[in-house]
Amino acid sequence: MSIRIENVNKSFGKHLILKNISLEIKDGNFVSFLAPTGSGKTTLLRIMAGLERPDKGHGKIFYDDVDVTDVPVRERNISMVYQDFINYPSMTVYENIASPLRVSKNKMSKKEIDEKVREAADLLSLSDLFKHYPSETSGGQQQRIAIARALVKGTKYIFLDEPLANLDYKLREELRGQLKETFSSNKKGIIIYATADPIDALILSSHVGFLHEGKILQYDILDKAYNYPQYLEVASYFSNPAMNFLEAKLVEEDNNYFLEVTEKLKVKVDKFKEKLDKREYLLGIRAQAISPHRQRQNDIIIKGMVELVEVVGSDTELHFKYKNFQLLSLSQKIESFKIGNLVDIFIDPSRFYVFDKDTRRLVYRMAGEE
Amino acid sequence: MARIEFKNVSHSFEIAEGKEKLEWAVNDINIIWEDGVANALLGPSGCGKTTMLNIISGLLMPSEGKVYIDGKDVTELSTRERHIAQVFQFPVIYDSMNVYNNLAFPLVNAKVSSSKIRAKVEKIAEILGLVDYLEFPSSKLNSAEKQKVSLGRGIIRDDTVGILLDEPLTVIDPKMRGELRRQLKIIQRELNITAIYVTHDQHEALTFADEVAIMKDGRIVQVGSPHELYSDPESPFIGYFIGSPGMNILDGKLNKSNLSLKEFDIEFSKDFRDKIKIKNGECQLGIRPEAIITSKVKTKGTIPFEIIIVENMGSYKILTLIKKNESNRNLRIKSRTDIDMSVSKGETVYLKFPEEYLKIFKDNHKIY
Repeated sequence: MSIRIENVNKSFGKHLILKNISLEIKDGNFVSFLAPTGSGKTTLLRIMAGLERPDKGHGKIFYDDVDVTDVPVRERNISMVYQDFINYPSMTVYENIASPLRVSKNKMSKKEIDEKVREAADLLSLSDLFKHYPSETSGGQQQRIAIARALVKGTKYIFLDEPLANLDYKLREELRGQLKETFSSNKKGIIIYATADPIDALILSSHVGFLHEGKILQYDILDKAYNYPQYLEVASYFSNPAMNFLEAKLVEEDNNYFLEVTEKLKVKVDKFKEKLDKREYLLGIRAQAISPHRQRQNDIIIKGMVELVEVVGSDTELHFKYKNFQLLSLSQKIESFKIGNLVDIFIDPSRFYVFDKDTRRLVYRMAGEE
Repeated sequence: MARIEFKNVSHSFEIAEGKEKLEWAVNDINIIWEDGVANALLGPSGCGKTTMLNIISGLLMPSEGKVYIDGKDVTELSTRERHIAQVFQFPVIYDSMNVYNNLAFPLVNAKVSSSKIRAKVEKIAEILGLVDYLEFPSSKLNSAEKQKVSLGRGIIRDDTVGILLDEPLTVIDPKMRGELRRQLKIIQRELNITAIYVTHDQHEALTFADEVAIMKDGRIVQVGSPHELYSDPESPFIGYFIGSPGMNILDGKLNKSNLSLKEFDIEFSKDFRDKIKIKNGECQLGIRPEAIITSKVKTKGTIPFEIIIVENMGSYKILTLIKKNESNRNLRIKSRTDIDMSVSKGETVYLKFPEEYLKIFKDNHKIY
């Protein structure tokens, strides 16, 4: 089983939204298209599902090597979940979930339908709500009903367009876990998921495609996309919270080479010196490697002036100023800092990314090495 | 600026409808919002936040109780007479005017001299980061900038005593939401204005406010700093609502030297048991996922669990666990582990519940 797209262009009016996109997705893959709003990810997903067509003569879509570019969506055997919770308001939860089976071409017995509805409802903890109407359920439950309806058909291809975007954070957290559980127990089929939330992509996907200016800038298995972002744009966005970037100069001191941001903030680069042939680079540091608490013995210690404290989930994101740099650090608990105060900040010198300033490509990743 | 206070404030919409059996939208609220403090009112939808807001602003007169501003009873005063500014979900500005005239409008209405107006508008524009936009047509602003102009109009008059922010980020483009969230906090500090931020969003409330009041079912269930709410929740609801994932809440029975949960027991030291000032009986145990010690090695006092979900959060992993060899698969515990710990679904891990992080609740209230 596979989905393949070849050289897809899509424009709205004069605006070219997708530029020559090619991609192959294999059976068992859960693919997230990750990008900020307005990057074309929803359009790409809709084109793959058949809800939109590529520009005429610019792109083909294959399901299992069969060209389906001109096959209408209802003949494609796919399921779709939208950002807004779309259910039939006049039907009970049970009837909503059963509805795709009732209109299906291959007639099913009442018993068969009942079994399938119960199975899907069970996966999404909806069994207690069968007799209710969608309007009597919470936003999270309404989206679960829509997802159950997508699952019940047992289609090979499931498309989800930002299904968690309209939920409160607690519900988002709960449903995300439930999606993870539901989809990880079923390794067959292909799931395509569009999201602006790096956490969704991190938790749910097997593969991640990052969209930028109408192109897929990087497509990789999850681990590689997250740990080896090939471009600065990917590193910056596929990071939670955002990655810090600092300009650094290549300097030599007593036969050792360093990338130096300031006299204090510099990292030894002898190990990969041969990759560095320019004078200046950008150092990428995830907020996780910068902390108001000591992390490792040889942390670099700098003084930061607290600018803002954000509480996210069970973490505290501390925005601070160091010389002319605005940096973000992370503390894995909820705590307070007084704005304007000077605090010690600990930076782990073994977890840096080095990016080329001009090409914006990843040059090297230090992962915990001393 | 001012101190806003509620004394025994209750409100029922059914009194107006003449019903006999009353449901209270807000119920016996006593709270003080101190002068110059950034406050938040946080709760799930339907908890009574909007009713509270309307009572503060004067849109709604409470069925019972009194509202004070700087000690003066304002319960019967109209919205106009209270001088409390409001920022709503949707920016309220005149699209036909430029930014300058929008900001100046409340002062023009109050017949302030034009030289004073200019000075004031420029000062506010500076704080809001709108100096370069003053001559700009308001219709050309993005949603975040419009919301800042709304805020500016609210706070520009010298007699403004405080500001209410009602889910001010809801309609802001997601790309700009983070930036505006930060700016609101900075603006509040700069102006030292009494602010009350109403939201269901934990991130917004805890980022904006130094003092957060949590509401549930028409009552204020706890008031505290973000850290206090996190580390010392008054009830299981707050433990779960604050923090991501929320606190694990497990039903159990308190005994002489341990706590029996349905699937396993947690042993207490004598010291710890002595601190819990109640005798034996039904209770709930609370422990945060990040307080549980998860290990792949069995040691004394650990309890085996099976991993059913692994969520990689970038800086750590969240495990969803069920008790090993247990037919009841509904008892679920979440724990947080180091990002470098390699774990997968189906594996067994051993959990330890450190005493110093245990919370005990009874009848939905903290007892330890």
